[in-house]
Amino acid sequence: MKPKTDPQLAFLISINVLILLCAAILSRGAFIDSYNLQSMAAQVPELGLLAIGVMLAMSSGNGGIDLSGTALANLSGVASALLVSAFLSADADPWAFTVAFVAVAMLVGLLGGVLNGLLIAHLGLTPILCTLGTQMLFTGVAVVLSGGVSVRVGSAGPLMEIANGLVCGVPISFVIFCVISLLIGMTLKFSPFGIQLFLMGTNAKAARYSGFALSRILIRTYGMCGVLAGVVAVLIASRNVNVKWDYGQSYLLIAILITVMAGVKTEGGYGRMICIFLSATALQLLSSMFNFLDASNFIRDFAWGMLLLIFLATMRYDLKSLFIRTTSIPTSSVQRPPASTNHS
Amino acid sequence: MIHKVLFTAMAAACLSGASAGLQAQEKPVMATVVKISGIPWFDRMHVGVKEFAAATPSVTAFQNGPSNADAAQQLRIVEDLVARKVNTLAVVPMDPAVIEGVLKRAMDRGIVVVTHEADNQKNTNANIEAFDNADYGRALNEKLASCMGKQGKWTSFVGSLGSRTHIQWVDAGAENAKKYAGMTLVDAKNESFDDANRTYEKAKEILRKHPDLRGFQSSAGNDVIGIGRAIEEAGLQGKVCLVGTGLPNPSAKLLESGAISAIGFWDPKYAGIAMNKIAKLLLEKKPLTDGMNLEVKGYEKVSVKKGPGAGVLMVGNAMVIADKSNYKEYLF
Repeated sequence: MKPKTDPQLAFLISINVLILLCAAILSRGAFIDSYNLQSMAAQVPELGLLAIGVMLAMSSGNGGIDLSGTALANLSGVASALLVSAFLSADADPWAFTVAFVAVAMLVGLLGGVLNGLLIAHLGLTPILCTLGTQMLFTGVAVVLSGGVSVRVGSAGPLMEIANGLVCGVPISFVIFCVISLLIGMTLKFSPFGIQLFLMGTNAKAARYSGFALSRILIRTYGMCGVLAGVVAVLIASRNVNVKWDYGQSYLLIAILITVMAGVKTEGGYGRMICIFLSATALQLLSSMFNFLDASNFIRDFAWGMLLLIFLATMRYDLKSLFIRTTSIPTSSVQRPPASTNHS
Repeated sequence: MIHKVLFTAMAAACLSGASAGLQAQEKPVMATVVKISGIPWFDRMHVGVKEFAAATPSVTAFQNGPSNADAAQQLRIVEDLVARKVNTLAVVPMDPAVIEGVLKRAMDRGIVVVTHEADNQKNTNANIEAFDNADYGRALNEKLASCMGKQGKWTSFVGSLGSRTHIQWVDAGAENAKKYAGMTLVDAKNESFDDANRTYEKAKEILRKHPDLRGFQSSAGNDVIGIGRAIEEAGLQGKVCLVGTGLPNPSAKLLESGAISAIGFWDPKYAGIAMNKIAKLLLEKKPLTDGMNLEVKGYEKVSVKKGPGAGVLMVGNAMVIADKSNYKEYLF
C-alpha cells in the first residue's frame, strides 16, 4: 500500500534474521539443522492462528479483543473427540474419522465465535468482558464434557498426518498456517468485508452513519476467530494425540503479545497479516534459542518483554531525529488563536 | 536506516556473547524437564540434578521447566530439546497424556526417555516412582499407631475421592490399623481439596463430633497445616496425633509445637538424581534389573516391572517419615 517500506515490517524482518543468526552461531549450527527448523515451524501455527484471531477482534475497534480463543480451541477439541469417537472408529474408518473430526471441531469453533459476535453486536457487551465470560463458559463446558481429564483422540492416520507430516520438507501444519494467513490477509485487504472492518475499527460512528451493517461485520469477525480456534483444536489434537480443557492456559497473553508486537493498533483499524506472521516466528525463534542454550524460561519471558519494549520504543520515538537534523519547523502548535476570539 | 543501526548494534552484542557460548559440547547432554520452575519442590530437584552433574563430569546435565504451570509450555520445551537432540530426557510430566506424542518422537529420534510421577506414561523407556503407594500408606499408619499407643478412634483425609494415590494411601492405612484391635476408624476419607482452610474447618467439626478422637492420617500436602492448626487451637497437642503427607519447611512450626506428630514425603532431590542415573544406564545400554541398586538414597533396591507401554516401571523405597527430631535434615 505504502511506497516506502513499513518500519514495523523492517523491524520484524531484521529481528527474525538477527535471532536466527545469533542462535545458529551460539548453537554451532545445530539450530539451523533441518529437524529443528521443522520442529519450530510445527510449533508456530498454534499460537500464530490464535494471534490472528486476536488481531481480527482488535481491528474491529471499540475495545475489540478475543480472550476466549484458547478456551474455545480446547472445547472444540474435546467436544469433537468425544462426539466423533462415539460414532466412528478411528482404526476402521480413518478418513471418515478425520473429516468428521475436523468438521465438528471447526463447527464448534464457529458456533462459539458467533456466540461472541452476537453477544457483542446485539447485547452491546464490552468485548473484553464478553469474551472473558465466554472463556470461562467454554472452559467449564469442556471440563464437564471431559470430566476434567484429557481425552484421547483416536489415532487416525490422515489426522495424525496434519500436524506430523511434511510436504517437500515443510510441516503440513505450517503450510496450513501460511495458507490461512494469506487468505485472511487478502480478505482484509481486498474484500469489501475487510475494508469495512478496518473502517469500522477506525471510526465506528462514521461507519454507522455511512450505512455499514455493523452487527453483521462484528458477527463475521468473531465467527472467523472461532473458526481459527477450531483449526487450532485440530492441530493440537493431531500433534498431541490428546486434548484437555486446560491446555495452553498461558497462550492468551502470548497471542496478545504477538499481536501488539506486530503493530496491530489496540484501538482498532490497523493490522498487517505479514507482521503477525513475522512476529509469531520471532517469538518462536527466541523461545527455541533459549531452550537450545539451557537458559531458564524466566529469561525467555524477560527477553520477550524486552523485545516488546524495544519495539514500542523504536516505533513511538523517531530515532532518525537523533542522527539527521530536520529543517522543517513544527508550526502547528504555535499557531495563533483565531482572530474571532478578540471580540468581547 | 535506523534499523540498520539497531541491527548492527544488536548483532555486535550477540556476536560478542557468542564467543563465550562456543565451548565444545561433545559430551552427552542429559536434560531434566520439570513441571514448573521456581517452586520449592522443583528447586529441590534442581539441587539433585546439579549434584548429579557435579558427580558425573563425563556428561552435561541440566534442569529446565516452564515458568508457568501449563502443560503446553512444558511440551514446547520438550519439543525444542528433542529438536536439539539431547541424549537423554528426564521428564516430570505436568500431564502425561499431553506429552505422549512428543515423547514418542523423542524415542523415535533415539533419545533415552525417563519419567517420574507418571506410572501411566506409555512412551517412556522407564518410569521411576519414589515408593510403593500401599507401603507408604502402611508406614504413615504405623507411625500414627505408635503415636496413639495403638488405641482409640482415628480418621483419614484425602485430597479428593478422585485422587487415586490418596485413596491407595488411606486404604492401606486402614488395612494396617486392623492389626490393632483398639484402633477404630471413624468418618473415613474426608475430602480436603488440598485447601488448608477447608481442612481446618473440617477438622474442627470432626473434633467436636468425636471429642475422644485420638488420631488423623492425611494425604494432600496442605492437610497437615489445616488439621495441625485445628489441633493447636484446641490445645490438643500431644493428646491427638497427626501423621500425613507434608513438606518440612511449611510444617516446621507445627512440628515444633507438637500439633503435627510426623510428616511423610519423598525427597525430590534424590528423585532427580535417580532419574538421571537410570537415563545414564540406558544410554550406556546397561540393563535395568529387578532389585538393582542405583546408589541413591532410597533407591538402593529398586523393583523393576513391565510398564503400561514398552518401557519399565521402577519403584524405589524413598519415602521419608520425619518428625520433630529429624525434619531439619530435609529443609525444603
